[in-house]
Amino acid sequence: MSGAGDREAVFPTRQSLGLMKNKLKGAETGHSLLKRKSEALTKRFREITRRIDEAKRKMGRVMQIAAFSLAEVTYAVGGDIGYQIQESAKAARFRVRTKQENVSGVFLPQFESYTTEGNNDFGLTGLGKGGQQVQRCRETYARAVETLVELASLQTAFVILDEVIKVVNRRVNAIEHVIIPRTENTIKYINSELDELDREEFYRLKKVKNNKQRDNAAAEQEELGKRRGSDKENEDDTGTPDVLGEREDNDVIF
Amino acid sequence: MAAPPAAYKDRHFLAVIGDEDSVTGLLLAGIGHVTPPPDAQKNFLVVDAKTETATIEQAFDRYTHDRKDIAILLINQHIAERIRHRVDTYTDAFPAVLEIPSKEHPYDPEKDSVLRRVRRLFGE
Amino acid sequence: MEGLFFNVNGGFIEGIVRGYRNSLLTGQNYGNLTQCETIDDVKLQLAPAYGDFLASLPPNPSTSSLANKTTDKLVAEFRYLQAQATGSGAKFMEYLKYGYMIDNVALLITGTLHERDTRELLERCHPLGWFETMPVLCVATNIEELYNSVLIETPLAPYFKGSLSHQDLDELNIEIIRNTLYKNYLEDFYRFVNEHPDFSNTPTSEIMSEVLEFEADRRAINITMNSFGTELSKEDRQKLYPSFGRLYPEGTLMLSRAEDIEGVGLAVSGVNDYKTFFDSSGMGQGVSGAGNMSGGSGSDGKSLEDMFYQKEMEISKNAFTRQFTHAVIYAWVKLREQEIRNITWIAECIAQNQKERIGNYISVF
Repeated sequence: MSGAGDREAVFPTRQSLGLMKNKLKGAETGHSLLKRKSEALTKRFREITRRIDEAKRKMGRVMQIAAFSLAEVTYAVGGDIGYQIQESAKAARFRVRTKQENVSGVFLPQFESYTTEGNNDFGLTGLGKGGQQVQRCRETYARAVETLVELASLQTAFVILDEVIKVVNRRVNAIEHVIIPRTENTIKYINSELDELDREEFYRLKKVKNNKQRDNAAAEQEELGKRRGSDKENEDDTGTPDVLGEREDNDVIF
Repeated sequence: MAAPPAAYKDRHFLAVIGDEDSVTGLLLAGIGHVTPPPDAQKNFLVVDAKTETATIEQAFDRYTHDRKDIAILLINQHIAERIRHRVDTYTDAFPAVLEIPSKEHPYDPEKDSVLRRVRRLFGE
Repeated sequence: MEGLFFNVNGGFIEGIVRGYRNSLLTGQNYGNLTQCETIDDVKLQLAPAYGDFLASLPPNPSTSSLANKTTDKLVAEFRYLQAQATGSGAKFMEYLKYGYMIDNVALLITGTLHERDTRELLERCHPLGWFETMPVLCVATNIEELYNSVLIETPLAPYFKGSLSHQDLDELNIEIIRNTLYKNYLEDFYRFVNEHPDFSNTPTSEIMSEVLEFEADRRAINITMNSFGTELSKEDRQKLYPSFGRLYPEGTLMLSRAEDIEGVGLAVSGVNDYKTFFDSSGMGQGVSGAGNMSGGSGSDGKSLEDMFYQKEMEISKNAFTRQFTHAVIYAWVKLREQEIRNITWIAECIAQNQKERIGNYISVF
């Protein structure tokens, strides 16, 4: 057997057998629970990966529309506004906050976008011409960024879940392939040791019983002989030395 | 369990590494933030053909590692391509690194580091 | 009588401009352009008109480099014209350049305000707005210096005088500076074409008055509409309206009081053209006013901006029906600018695969 040597270092006693049995039971319960957790997480994980796939594709489209609205701005303003925008950026209007979602005991952060009121860095951009396009472009991009934030949540969830599932699966596998077999081995070992002891005990008892019977038989015969000897003046008394009988007597003392 | 709240509760901003058009658009959406002087750090980097790869890597490290107030880093896919090894080896949850398409480089799911991981997981 | 001596100084230039005008893309050309599948095809289609200028572009160039090259051609032709112009004609062309100078100066002021290295800004400046002292602007490290020693030397100095002091430069939003300058510039240009002895009571002053009045009105309307929801106060807004134009004075007064799109519609209702624009762009109803602006691809009709461009092109086209005038130069520049915008737009649509709106260009020939 492969795990023959792999067992826990315990004395093969009944008490440790009880302990091991409890441990095995615990491990099996834990295994099934973890397995279920891992399945729940994996389900979630698959859902998230599917949504990531979708969201990434959606992002491709959304960003394209957004880029196009920027092209509209370029058309309407009739020039490059990039530098001006970069220079006038001061404080973020569009920010994210993070909240948590609990999936089978795993906290998944979720980004949530919000806009801070009252700072408007580019309010006057395109005042002379193209202002409406700039405005529209801002809205389009704001929507695009929302999609991006959504995607970022999914992706973070993906990374974290990936990690967690790995850990859980590692545990499941450890329980399934190491702890349970080892405990079982230990139980088997203890059982076999105990059986061995049982058998020895049984054999010994049997031996004792045999000897006792023989002793008894010998004693009876002696008794009988004595009675006859006293009748025949101890004729064959010296002819049969009772060597066996003496040794037997020694053995009986245990 | 994987991430203590302290890892992300201060993260409010988005950061961008992108070409001029992408950055302009995202700034228009209002994500631009410049920290108060004297250090005046921007949360965006405009990359053009002349920008050196080292600069991009530096910015990537700064946004992913040094700054603790960034929740999401957006990076143009074609720029991510230039520092692909960095992006691929980056596996932390915070900040989330998101590859976005640019005007001239439409989105290619094959190159995305996260999507590639998805594919690998499903054994495709 | 007015045309009797025009050709002595201006005939050659006018002839050249008319020649240039004929090389403008026609509806047929645009039709071909919209059928293109790649930027390379566009390049090929543009070859007859732009030939040499596009030759140095790499295969499948970006739309912005395409726009740059087409602008280069305009600049080259403009410079050639300017080199030929004499007397009041040269002065007229100087005026044409001031508009671009304002943009450049605004750009440089932005750079200086943020203490950037302004040298790298020079290449972003519009080449038509280039003036000799512009590189000097980069020497200035702070706004006060910029104002006292540099801006004073530029051709734009008169526009700064009286309306902006150096304190304004750091406090005011750069857009307000730009628009104040532009307002002063328009007024000055208007005065110039109407009062200069070479131009007053000539076709030039007639056409230019129409164009500039339209430009003034357009700016007034745009500024009003774009200032809704921003911190620009009504008084500040009123200061940005040019003091001439078909809306002036009643219309602009009403514009300055307008609170929403409907108010703007009401203010411009005195001028039939603008009223038509408003009605057909759906802005006049007010109901769809805000909704019209939402959505990147949602607007099915033409926006107000588009109609203004359309109108500008009509005016510019009509300018060519007159003779003995410098106004054709202005008209030609505007037409070429629109053409560059059209090309950029079409190229953008093709590059981004958004063919459904490719027809949004404005073609008048």
